[in-house]
Amino acid sequence: MTTKCLCLTMVALAGLLAAGCAEDKAAPTRPVIGLSVLTLTNPFFQEIADNMQKEAAKHGYDVVVVSGEFDAARQQNQVKDFIVQKAAAIVLCPCDSKAVGPAIREAHDAGIAVFTCDIACLASESQFVVTHIATDNYAGGKQAAHALLEALGDTGGKIAILDYRAAESCLLRVAGFKEVIRAHNRGGGARVEIVAELPCGGVKDQGYKAAEDLVQAHPDLAGIFAINDPSALGARAALEKADKDDQVKIVGFDGQPEGKQAIQQGKIYADPVQYPDRIGRETARIIARYFEGEKVPPQILIPTGLYRGKN
Amino acid sequence: MRRFLSDYGMALVLLLLGIYYSVVTFALQDPSGASGGEQLAREVLARLGPSARVLLVTRDTREDIAFADAARKHLEAAGVQLVGDVRGRPYDARAELERLVAAGGKLDAIAANQVTGSWAVLRHVSTRFPQLGEVPVVTPPRYWWPNFLKADNLRNIADQIVIIAILAAGMTFVVITGGIDLSVGSLIALSAVTATLLIRDVAGAEAATTGGMIGACLAAVALCGLCGLFSGAMVTFFQVPAFIVTLAMMLVARGLASEVSNGASIYQVPASFLWLGGGADLFSVPNGVVLMIVLYIAADVVMTRMTLGRYIYAIGGNAEAARLSGVPVRRVLLLVYALSGGLAGVGGVVMASRLRSGAPTYGLMYELYAIAAVVVGGTSLSGGEGKIFGTLIGAFIIAVIKNGMNLTGVTPFRQEVVFGVVLLGAVLLDRLKGRLRLRAKPQASKSS
Repeated sequence: MTTKCLCLTMVALAGLLAAGCAEDKAAPTRPVIGLSVLTLTNPFFQEIADNMQKEAAKHGYDVVVVSGEFDAARQQNQVKDFIVQKAAAIVLCPCDSKAVGPAIREAHDAGIAVFTCDIACLASESQFVVTHIATDNYAGGKQAAHALLEALGDTGGKIAILDYRAAESCLLRVAGFKEVIRAHNRGGGARVEIVAELPCGGVKDQGYKAAEDLVQAHPDLAGIFAINDPSALGARAALEKADKDDQVKIVGFDGQPEGKQAIQQGKIYADPVQYPDRIGRETARIIARYFEGEKVPPQILIPTGLYRGKN
Repeated sequence: MRRFLSDYGMALVLLLLGIYYSVVTFALQDPSGASGGEQLAREVLARLGPSARVLLVTRDTREDIAFADAARKHLEAAGVQLVGDVRGRPYDARAELERLVAAGGKLDAIAANQVTGSWAVLRHVSTRFPQLGEVPVVTPPRYWWPNFLKADNLRNIADQIVIIAILAAGMTFVVITGGIDLSVGSLIALSAVTATLLIRDVAGAEAATTGGMIGACLAAVALCGLCGLFSGAMVTFFQVPAFIVTLAMMLVARGLASEVSNGASIYQVPASFLWLGGGADLFSVPNGVVLMIVLYIAADVVMTRMTLGRYIYAIGGNAEAARLSGVPVRRVLLLVYALSGGLAGVGGVVMASRLRSGAPTYGLMYELYAIAAVVVGGTSLSGGEGKIFGTLIGAFIIAVIKNGMNLTGVTPFRQEVVFGVVLLGAVLLDRLKGRLRLRAKPQASKSS
């Protein structure tokens, strides 16, 4: 009796697996593009994936989407799986700009064209990347600075930056931002002083804490530049609690729906907007052009647009 | 039948899984390498005869070069005139086609493998280069074979589970004594960061010698062993539950890894550091897999042939009874936790080598995968029973499921659901096995 039970469980176990695997099994006869993104829990990457899929289909390619979920080793395994599946091309949003090197090397040695999007490879293997497609973060940072200067008007004042140093994209944003502020101060307008640069991890709760500390240290703070929407929204919440929300102007980055809504409501002054849909489409187009035998550029930067709602 | 099922049930599940994935990943395959090139030459000759003017298009990878060399040799031996031999990227093929058009040449066929044949530049050659006439793309005939059973894929599966399997070996010792070690995932990060940091700052960064790298790795493993020893001491001398001690160690180790690395990757290591995790020296079996097998054989010898193994089972069965019958319980427990930490350190070194860098984010959640491998492998979480090779089978079941789901295109979120259900099923099986043994006759129960 129990033996039967045991057998039954094992069969059921195998059946469950079958259920988990039996879908999406349209045998891909068309060339396959393998995409491994940083995380699918951020709608930004979902939008890149969806648009890449749609655009690639027009050119006769199927896109298989997987996600490294911040785990560089997991992403490397996904690349190995793509190699076995003989993908035509592999697109990576690296989980770690340095650790992604060996995976890129391996794909290149197997004769597969590798592209990166949104996040660049900073290891020496970046020479094997055909094209990197991303937001022009440096110009975006400049745009943010212009927006914040506009918000401060003629008075100038003290401002702070909420940054995230692990991501190359965010470093570029801050660098572009600072350049414009420096140029402004040299130009002799009302002086704008960067009094603090605090890490915010790019997430709401840390943005909240950082902004709380900021207004304690600098009660006369006039503006904040946050490197993405979640940290900007976190900072806004802290300012509201400290009754400083009228005094301190915030400029964020990204232009995700939640950020745009906050701008509409006047909670954030403006956002340089990224276009993940365009990043996705452009990547698919570049791959199609590459296989048509065209020489493609090593880097494509997509400019940001400034979203300012009703302002 | 009963004995077979209770001892090798999991091996049977692994086998069933393998069969299942072999069936569902049955797909058309493309011949490659020298034999593929030969088949291509025969196909060209059969379809177009020896008077054809042929352009050969392949990539410049090792496999493709063998393919192209063989095809070229056979075609030329049969008197076929090769008008061009492209070995490179799509734009090299395009440049060659443009050159042919400019020279006013004619083309009867393009010979390619499946990959280059699917390049848009070749698929659309008749519309883009009408001057060349109607040019068919000839590829070698395809054959049916499961994607899952390709040598590359099987090697992949083994390679992908190395780190978790090494952790799981140490975890098996701990679980058999009735404990648990939650710190192993974080120890991976600590070990990877320590090894790469030492190579960068002490052994001379990119100029580090092999000896220097080995020293750095051993130091990292020793550090993790000490962390394990510390956990073991807390468990044995202060009777703090293993769950709490190792939970604390998990936080401490990851914190330390972040602290010493400043939260960033350390990547200033020589390219040869890739050898352990990325090389494959023995019959093209990855070095990491060889290391894993060696460690498992050693662990099995300890558990089945040595007194230490008997002590470990005895402690898990009943620690008090073991102590009364003269087992040095404290020393054995200390050793077991130190071993688990040390093996986690080895896993961290393998990971650092594989990614050629160390970062504090490595190994998130790996302790749970290791525990899953142990449990799926049939080791009871209440201690006292379990087999080292059962754990290896458990690790392989996990690897096969993950690989199979990737091959069949299951979405990442659903993969986790399936994975959780499988874990639950394995524990259920364990329970049923327990009931089976209770009902079985005494001599059958001894055999486990």
